[in-house]
This record gives sequence, structure tokens and C-alpha cells, in this order.
Amino acid sequence: MTNPVLEAIRMRRMTRALTDEPIARSELEEVLKAARWAPSAGNRRLHRFIAIQDPLTLKLLRMVSPGMFQRPAAVVVICIDRAKAESFGMRPNAKGLFVDVGTAAQTMLLAAHSLGLGAGVVTSFSQAAASAVLNVPEGLSPEMFICLGHAAPTQPRGMPTRGPVTWQSLTQWERFKGS
Amino acid sequence: MAGQMVLSEDEALELVAFLVTAARTQVDEAAEYGSLRLLTAAGRLAELIAERVSPETRTFLTGPLKQIPDLAVRTADPAGYVTALDAVCRAVAEHLVTYFGLDRKRS
Repeated sequence: MTNPVLEAIRMRRMTRALTDEPIARSELEEVLKAARWAPSAGNRRLHRFIAIQDPLTLKLLRMVSPGMFQRPAAVVVICIDRAKAESFGMRPNAKGLFVDVGTAAQTMLLAAHSLGLGAGVVTSFSQAAASAVLNVPEGLSPEMFICLGHAAPTQPRGMPTRGPVTWQSLTQWERFKGS
Repeated sequence: MAGQMVLSEDEALELVAFLVTAARTQVDEAAEYGSLRLLTAAGRLAELIAERVSPETRTFLTGPLKQIPDLAVRTADPAGYVTALDAVCRAVAEHLVTYFGLDRKRS
């Protein structure tokens, strides 16, 4: 079975090498508009996004992000609004906060893919340093970067899987059998 | 020997920032990322100096040092990963011996 959505899900890949070609502001805005529609626990919308296209800011952000192999034309930083989360009585490490980072990220990755952009996530960065570079106010914590640009023709070999992965190998039907 | 060769301040700062922030991210990340980050730092330093070094060093930087893929980690093939790292280490040592003239030194 296939349709455009399933096809996009299957064909999207993490892009670790990007060209120097800039992306249009309108394309970046489309990615951000998509993020607005990402699932959000309790529809609380506890996340904020920082969109970056300034070359110097991108350069400094990359310097404090050991996991950023690509040189992106734009980055969207997904932040948790911790002050707002606290106002809902949520603990700092409540899992919903991080689940929603993931739903926003996947939504943006698919949106970027649909626009013909390359996109990859980065979580290996110093939160303290990134906050300083971006002048992030107290109460917001940067959690994930979505790096955007145009995919280079040659990509570094991806992280290898540890054995074959199929949907069946990831799935247990109904309940686990007792030993 | 290129004794006067130094990184520009911009280049050195980039490397310092990478190493310091990697020290922090490594606290939370998988242990196998430690080697990955060190190799990335070595690769970035190699890129920064490649145009200014001797042809022999350039051959090393663009050859043996680049043999391990950027995202390679130990778990996929522990034995193969160690073998590849040993090969790079051996190549480093062989280049050092030649570059510093240890092989030409009379005992």
C-alpha cells in the first residue's frame, strides 16, 4: 500500500551534508507552520522555536555543537518553555515535554522533505553554550536542532543499524508471552 | 618542517569550542561517541591545516586519517572498528617516524 504521505515517511533520510545554497525564507516559514500542527500533549504547546538564517549565528552555533556535521543554511531550535510547563504543574523531566520535542521534530523533517529540502536533527550540543549564543531567556531550554538546507549529492554513510530492522522486529502483537 | 605554521584565531577558537562542548555533551551521551568526537576533532584540525602542511603530511591527512567514516561507531562492528582505529594509529606513528626523521637517525 502506498500514498504520498507513506511515501514521504519511507523516503525521508537524515541529511548530514548540505550544499552552500541558501533556502528561501518562505520555505523556512512553511516548515515552521507545519510544526505548529504537530501533536502536543494536552494541546499545551509548551515549545518555542528559534529560526536562524544569519550566517554568523549559524557558524557560532555549529562551533558549540559537536554533533553538527552539516553546515546548514538554516536551523530551527526546538526549545521547551519550562516556565510555562511549571505553570501546568509539570515536573522538569516530565516525559511529555520531550515527546513533544520529537513530534515537532518529525513533523518539521517531513515538511522539509516535502519541500525538497534536506534536514537532519542534532542533539549533541552544549545547552549552556547554545543558550549563550542565541541569548535564550531564562525559562527556555534548547533541546534539539533541525538543520535545513539542500542535500549534497554525496552523503556520509549513516549510523549503521545493529542488525536488520523491520517493522515486525519492532512490534509485539497483543501481549508478551510468559516464559 | 613548517615550524611557523599556526592556526588563525578563528580556526583555533572553532576547535577549542568543539572540544569544550564535546566534553560536556559526552557526559550524557553513549560512551562510544567519545571516539567519534575525537576523530571528528582530528578531522576538523586536518581540514584546517591541510593546505599549509608538507605534501607528506597532507597525504597522511587526506589518506589514512580519512579512512574511518564520519559516523562510524564501535557497536556495529566492534572488532572491525578497533582494527580500523589501529590502522590509523599505525599510520600516524609511521608518518611521525618519517616526518621527524627517526628512521634517519643514527643510533
